[in-house]
Amino acid sequence: MSGKIAVPVFPGTNSEDETVRLLGDCGGDAELVHWSDAERLGTYDAYVLSGGFAYEDRIRAGAIAAHDRIMDFVAHAAERGKLVLGICNGAQILLEAGLVPGTSVGRKPTAAFAKNAPEPHFVCRHVYMRLAVEPSRSAITAALPKDALVPAWAAHAEGRLAATPQRLDEIVAGDHLAFVYAHNDGTVDAAAVPNGSALGCAGLVNRAGNVLAIMPHPERDGWNFNHPDRCEGTDVLAPSGGAALFRSFVVAVA
Amino acid sequence: MPRCNSSSRSRRERRLGNGLTGAPDVALRDDELQRIRERLGREPTTVELHAFDAQWSEHCSYKSSRHHLKRLPADGSTVVIGPGEDAGALHLGVHDGVRYAVVIAHESHNHPSQIVPFEGAATGIGGIVRDVLCMGAEVIGVADPLRLGTNDAKGHPGYVARGVVDGIGGYGNAIGVPNIAGDAYFERGFNENCLVNVVALGIVREDDLIHSYAPKGAEDWEIVLVGKATDPSGFGGASFSSLTLDAQESEVNKGAVQVPDPFLKNVLMRASYRVFGLLRERKIVAAFKDLGAGGIMGCSAEITAQGGYGAEIDLDKVNVAIEGMPPEVIAVGETQERLLWLLPADVATDVLRIYNEEFTLPQVAHNARAAVIGRVTAQRRYVLRYRGATVMDVESDFLTGSIRDELPYTEVIRHQGAVQELPAVDIETLFPAVLAHRDVASREPIYRRYDAVVRGCTVLPRGTADAGVLAPIPGSRLGVALAVAGNPRYGRIDSGFAAEFAVLEAMRAVVAVGARPLGLSDCLNFGNPRKPDQYGEFVAAVDGLGRAATRLDLPIVSGNVSLYNESAGGSAVPASTIVACVGVLEDVAQVVTPGLKETRSALLWIGSRELVVGGSVLAEVLGIEGPLPSISYGAERTAVGIVRDAIARGVVRSCRAIRDGGVLTAVARLAFDAHLRGRAIGAEIDFGNPLCEAGGFLCEVSDDSEIDLTGTLRIGETIGGSELVVNGIRFSIPQLYAVWSQPLAELYP
Repeated sequence: MSGKIAVPVFPGTNSEDETVRLLGDCGGDAELVHWSDAERLGTYDAYVLSGGFAYEDRIRAGAIAAHDRIMDFVAHAAERGKLVLGICNGAQILLEAGLVPGTSVGRKPTAAFAKNAPEPHFVCRHVYMRLAVEPSRSAITAALPKDALVPAWAAHAEGRLAATPQRLDEIVAGDHLAFVYAHNDGTVDAAAVPNGSALGCAGLVNRAGNVLAIMPHPERDGWNFNHPDRCEGTDVLAPSGGAALFRSFVVAVA
Repeated sequence: MPRCNSSSRSRRERRLGNGLTGAPDVALRDDELQRIRERLGREPTTVELHAFDAQWSEHCSYKSSRHHLKRLPADGSTVVIGPGEDAGALHLGVHDGVRYAVVIAHESHNHPSQIVPFEGAATGIGGIVRDVLCMGAEVIGVADPLRLGTNDAKGHPGYVARGVVDGIGGYGNAIGVPNIAGDAYFERGFNENCLVNVVALGIVREDDLIHSYAPKGAEDWEIVLVGKATDPSGFGGASFSSLTLDAQESEVNKGAVQVPDPFLKNVLMRASYRVFGLLRERKIVAAFKDLGAGGIMGCSAEITAQGGYGAEIDLDKVNVAIEGMPPEVIAVGETQERLLWLLPADVATDVLRIYNEEFTLPQVAHNARAAVIGRVTAQRRYVLRYRGATVMDVESDFLTGSIRDELPYTEVIRHQGAVQELPAVDIETLFPAVLAHRDVASREPIYRRYDAVVRGCTVLPRGTADAGVLAPIPGSRLGVALAVAGNPRYGRIDSGFAAEFAVLEAMRAVVAVGARPLGLSDCLNFGNPRKPDQYGEFVAAVDGLGRAATRLDLPIVSGNVSLYNESAGGSAVPASTIVACVGVLEDVAQVVTPGLKETRSALLWIGSRELVVGGSVLAEVLGIEGPLPSISYGAERTAVGIVRDAIARGVVRSCRAIRDGGVLTAVARLAFDAHLRGRAIGAEIDFGNPLCEAGGFLCEVSDDSEIDLTGTLRIGETIGGSELVVNGIRFSIPQLYAVWSQPLAELYP
């Protein structure tokens, strides 16, 4: 019996359906939980915060949602070791809520996903995320191979990790840099980074390894039909590509 | 109405109407006012004046275009809903025993976008999405054919060009609908009048389609207004869009442009999907309609009158943003993000609960909500009350019935380009010049700002192929392809030809990704219908559009007319018939993927190889003129048949429709896509003038032994490495890519 996964929906979330669908196709038991139904959130075993523009990204992306009632439940669950994955806007919310990298006392952000650079606007671009920690560093990535390359789409205006040099040092020293942007051969350079992110950061993990925040969307490259020229096997409807990370998450929840 | 346009009368007429009535600033003509007085047997009230002003504007009434549009083919075996509602619907296929339709709507938002580009374009996307939503469909994609001024980064045309793109991205990205198709042409003729066309697609079970008219038995049903609080924005919008743009008065007009709220729309869409589920469960046939030009009045009058009913609305029940607005502003203002339901009373209660409590509309935006504002009546009268008084009471059919303006027009003389010797073409310099031309250069600086992949259904995102492709039904292999076309270089020369060619180009684009064309939508963007020469261009375009669609068996299920696209100096935009084509893939696994695949493939040119330069990029680069390509529908159907057959046999490795920049550009695009994917594949071709743009398809095939080669020509083959060899001249693919990918980067940094 696998655990139950909640995909909470804030006003302005826009990637909830495909997130639930891919979790389901990877064997997970996931469902949407609407903001007006937030009190139900305590009963789940794991959480995936999906993409979008929660609360219109007012002030900063994720800044309002980080203080929403939904996040009371998510933060409480994270403290108790339940798994939390944030994708794009979900990652921005986790950062604003201080749950990643989680190097401060209390729920205070210690870094930001700032406006992209040098192109200071929304950029939609296919990318690869390379696992930059040992797979076992996070329960969520434990079923991925070492140096796993996860295909995904970057689609955001604010995804550039920015922090003081000291905070960036903490991220590296604490092994919080979970994913970096890479080319399809796994090599890493500035050209592989779509948003000017510090450390080439595509994803951050908290100290305990149960909260992972990634900016790119694996669920948008999650089935064979999303990448017909990289079809794995013969079934065009089968999960593949970015689904590897979702599978690993589902295995960890089970 | 499906064909709601952006058009209007001139200032002069507006003042005339004003002077005669001593009434508010309306654009009704004297003869129209007289008709209203006679029919009512009294002077119209202020509210009635504004209501007729909106409802009888070109924008809502299509009075000078409707009788011409009747010539367009609207029937066919694929048609589920033809023109006449907020959107059309085409049969897509069957999945799990359920019939599915793809819904399509197509509009323009030209005038608002010229004045306030971001808001104008954003509300264009917002409006077209509502047209699809109100058919009961889930919105799955948008497209944005743009016609912009010359791409000078400075000055107003550059400001418009950037603002429009930011507005389309800003809205579409936030609501979570992928942008999967579109194009952009930059012409001096659009400097003072940009064209912002928008297309939206939806997916729906055919038995769940919701109509935009009252069903049988709707008497005494509740009229439910849902969405943003009504405010004064967009008051007079229907008339505004009819005014020829006058830069001096643009500041004044800003009040007539609507304010976008994609955040609220995101929630409204999701709440409406929940309502669709409720209606399905309870087997309720309701009516749902978008509020556009004419506001609450236009929408509630049409949705009831088209079902044979009337309506009584209490304007005091409308949720407003500020107190004390005059009743005509509440009734006619065009505040965005609003929709209107007709529902049985018991269902209305549940629907209100979904919008207001489950989706908390009042907390999402100030005073947004769903509210009962009136009821459907058996008497065919349209009645508005305000603070206890009746402020409008007219016959519904008189208000919404078709009025007609038969305007004189000049026959357009078809272009007979002088046949001239083709100049000797220096490929070495001309090929890079063509690739760098503003109509050929990479559009990535534009579309990378658009989310092409939200919803997780994207098969071919924008920019990688001739058409965007989606797999919109979870668990189904059915695919939908969408492409747009409408070349203003042809429009400048021959309006009728340009319209015909737009159909061909949109259809070819859909075929090139492996889809079977299902049908079309269109938007006719033209000048002033009161100028016989400009109106003649419109009439010629309708003829051309109808001819092509008829001969290719492609029904036109949705469309729009935008008139009065002329500058203060009186010149019209280049004739712009913009066409969208929808296609189906029975199995998305059959999609033709981007880029050359393997060495030693044959490169076949299928279709017309006429050596003409009229309207081509090459002609612009050389500064010459010439005859336009000839159109043979028989040959076209044959070419499409060969391509589709070859794809079905699995021998096509890659394919592109031949468009701007000719067959050589098509080869280059396939080589670029291979290069970007790390495949070291080039091509060697040999053909007299590979920059002519007659049309057809360029296919990379593994084996041409099983293909019917009638009318096809093998122009070369793929080779290893990263070079294109053209008539013996060698080009580096990475260098050509750099030339092609840079030109728009300055305008869109």
